[in-house]
Amino acid sequence: MNNPTKTVVIVGGGSAGWLSAGLIAAKHNAKGTLAQQGVKVILIESPSIPSVGVGEGTWPTMRNTLIELGISETEFIRECDASFKQGAKFAKWCDGSDDDFYYHPLVLPQGFGKGDLAAHWLATQHNSDSQQPQSFSNAVCYQEAICEQGLAPKTIRHSEFDAIANYAYHLDAGKFAQLLKRHCVEKLGVTHISDDVVAVNSDDNGDIASVATTNNGDISGDLFVDCSGFKSLLLGEHFNIDLVKCDDVLFIDSALAVHVPYQCDDSAIASHTISTAQQAGWIWDIGLQSRRGVGHVYSSRHTNDEEAKQALADYIGVEVDSLTCKKITFESGHREKFWHKNCVAVGLAAGFLEPLEASALVLVELSAQMISEQLPASRDAMDIVAKRFNDTFLYRWDRIIDFLKLHYMLSSRTDSAFWRENRDPATIPQSLQDLMTLWRHRAPADLDFTSNNEVFPAASYQYVLYGMGHQSDYSGSPHKLHDHDLATAQFAQNRKLTQQALNNLPSNRDLIDKIKQFGFSTM
Amino acid sequence: MTNLVAIDNKNHKDITVDGSKAEMHGANVNLIPVVVPEFSNLATQYPIVITKNGDTGQFVFAAMLGLETNENLFWQDEQWQGLYLPLQIQRQPFFVGEMNNEQIMCIDLESPTLSSNDGVAIFNSDGSDSEYLQDAKEKLALLLQGELQNIELIDAITSLDLLQPLSVEITLVNEQSCRLNGLYTIDNAKLAALGDAQVVNLHRQGQLDSIYTMITSLGQIYGLIDKKNKQVSAQL
Repeated sequence: MNNPTKTVVIVGGGSAGWLSAGLIAAKHNAKGTLAQQGVKVILIESPSIPSVGVGEGTWPTMRNTLIELGISETEFIRECDASFKQGAKFAKWCDGSDDDFYYHPLVLPQGFGKGDLAAHWLATQHNSDSQQPQSFSNAVCYQEAICEQGLAPKTIRHSEFDAIANYAYHLDAGKFAQLLKRHCVEKLGVTHISDDVVAVNSDDNGDIASVATTNNGDISGDLFVDCSGFKSLLLGEHFNIDLVKCDDVLFIDSALAVHVPYQCDDSAIASHTISTAQQAGWIWDIGLQSRRGVGHVYSSRHTNDEEAKQALADYIGVEVDSLTCKKITFESGHREKFWHKNCVAVGLAAGFLEPLEASALVLVELSAQMISEQLPASRDAMDIVAKRFNDTFLYRWDRIIDFLKLHYMLSSRTDSAFWRENRDPATIPQSLQDLMTLWRHRAPADLDFTSNNEVFPAASYQYVLYGMGHQSDYSGSPHKLHDHDLATAQFAQNRKLTQQALNNLPSNRDLIDKIKQFGFSTM
Repeated sequence: MTNLVAIDNKNHKDITVDGSKAEMHGANVNLIPVVVPEFSNLATQYPIVITKNGDTGQFVFAAMLGLETNENLFWQDEQWQGLYLPLQIQRQPFFVGEMNNEQIMCIDLESPTLSSNDGVAIFNSDGSDSEYLQDAKEKLALLLQGELQNIELIDAITSLDLLQPLSVEITLVNEQSCRLNGLYTIDNAKLAALGDAQVVNLHRQGQLDSIYTMITSLGQIYGLIDKKNKQVSAQL
C-alpha cells in the first residue's frame, strides 16, 4: 500500500484535541505493541496557550462517546463537576413577559413516528371547551415536568449511562480536558507532547509533512488534526482556508461569562440549561455540582459591554461592580471546508456558533467520530474521504445555523432592533424560509431533512416551533386528524409516564450526592 | 413503622419480647436482605439472588420470598411456613445503631413482638441482660459480621465480572404472567472461564462455596412458582 496512514498528529489540547485523540486511539488500537499497533496518535499541546474553556453543555451523544472511550460515568461525574442536563428551558423568548417560557426536552414526543401528535395538540388549542391549555412539550413529553421539579433523569439503581429520561451533561470543560488527557495517555496509548508548534513543513505535494516544535524538533505524520482553537493554525493560517461568516444571520458576537457560587452545599441543581432572552442576546445558566456557570451572549452592534454587564448583574441579582467577568469575542461562522489535503480541523479551528443549542461539543464528537471511522487506510483514499467529510459537515453547519435562527425568527419581541432585525427575511436563510413554508400547514417531519443522521431531528423543530407559539393550519386537511383514538391514547400514556417519573425520580442534587458516595454499578 | 431507640436497663426494664411474633415483620416482604453465613440454611427453601439497594444502588444479597412486590408466599394463615427464618427476621425487634461513632443496641418500640402477653423479659431484675437479650446480641453480631462478608463477596463477584441480569418470565396456571426485574445472579459461563489462580483464590477465601450455593438455590424459584400456582388455583 502506498503511504499508509500510520501516524495521526493532533495539534492542540482542549476538549476538541483530547476527544479527537481519544476516539481515534480507541478505535485504531494506538496502545498496541509494535506488532499489533494500529495507528500512532500524537497530541501536541502548547504549555503557554490556555484553552478557551467554554462548552459546558453537551448532548446525549456524550454518553456514547464516553462509552467508546472507556471512561466510567461515575468517574466522569466525580471528576468533571458534572451534572445532568435534560434539555433547555427558554425563558422570555416568545414575547418577553415574565411567565413566558417553553422547553426543548431531550426525550422524543410520545408516539413520535406513530402519528402526528402535533396536529392533535394544535386542534386542542383551538377547542375552547378543552381543559386547561397545556404546553406542547407538557402534552407530548414528561421531561418538562421532571425539569420543573429539579429531578434527575435516573436513579442510583440504574447502571452507568442507563436512564429513565434521555439526558446529556453539564460539565467543567477544563476538568473534562484534564480527565480526557489522563485517560488518553494512560489507557489509550496517546503520545502527549507539551510544546509549541512554531512552523509547518510542507511536502512536495502540498501536504503537511511535519510540524516544527520548539523543543521536540519536527513531528511528522500522515494526517494532521487541527484543534488549535480560534487560531486555526493549520487549516486557517497555513492553508488559508477562509472563514465563511454567518453574522448576517446570527448577530451574536460577544460573551461575558461568570461563575456563580451556590447559596449552600445542598442548593438545588437545575436539571436543564436555562436560556433567558435579553434585549440584545440571551443569558445562559448552567448548574454544575459546585457552582453555576452564567453568561450573557449578545450582539455588540445592538448593545455595549456596560449594558451587557448590567443585564448580567441584574439577572444574577448582584451589584454590577461585584462581577468579575471573562470576556470572549468571536466571529460566527465556519471554514469554507474542514478537510484539506492531509489536514482536518475540529472544534473552534473549524468554526464557532453561539452556544444556544450547545452545538460546539457535539460537532467535535461528530467530527472525531467520522475521522476515526473513515480514517483512510492510505493517502490514495484521503481526498475521497475529505470530500465526503466536507459535504457532510457543510450540511451540518448549515442545518445548525437554520435551527439557531429559528429561535430568533419566531420571537414576537418588539423591545429592540436586535429582535426586529432577526425577523427580517433578508437575514433568514432560504433553506429555513422554505421549511417555514412547508410548516405553515403541517408539523415538521423526518423526511423534511435529507440526511440520515440529522443533527437536529424533526422532533426538535416541533418543540421549538410549538413552544414559541407557531400555528400550523390544518384546516385544509381535516383528514390528518382521523387517528383521533391513537392520539388520545398517546396523550394519556404521556400523562401516565409523567406521573411515574415524578413519583420515582430523586432530585438532581440528591442523585449526584449518591454518585459521589456510592457510584453507579456497571450493570 | 419503626421507632428505634437506644436500649437501656432503666427505661426498658419492664419490656418483654415475644420472639414468635418476629416473623410478622416479613408478612409483606418479597425480597429480604440476607448474609453469607446463612446461605446454606436459606438455600433449602429460598432462591438467593443479588439486587440493588434502593437507596444506594449498591449490589446486595437477598432471598426471594414472593414473585410480586409485597408478596411473601411463605406467609400463610398468619404464620411463616418456612423451615428457616432469615436472620433479618430473627433479629427483630433489635437493631444496631450508632452514637458518637460507637455502636449501640436499639429496640423498635413499634414492633409487634412487644405487644404480646407471652413475652420474655430482656433484663433481669438486677438490671443485667437476660438470657434472651444475650441471645439477641449474638444474632446481631452474626449479622454485622455477615455484612462484612457480604461486602467482600460482592467485591469479588463484581471485580471478576461474574454478574448477569436474571430475567425470568413466569406464566401461572391462570395464564397470568409475571416478570421478575432488577435481579442479578452469577454468570455460569464466566465462572467456568475463570483462571486457575482466580478459582483457587475464591476457594481459599471460602467464597466459591457461597457462589455455588447461590447458583443452586436458584432452583427454588420452582418452589415459589408452585406455591403461587396453588394459591392461584385455590382462587379459581
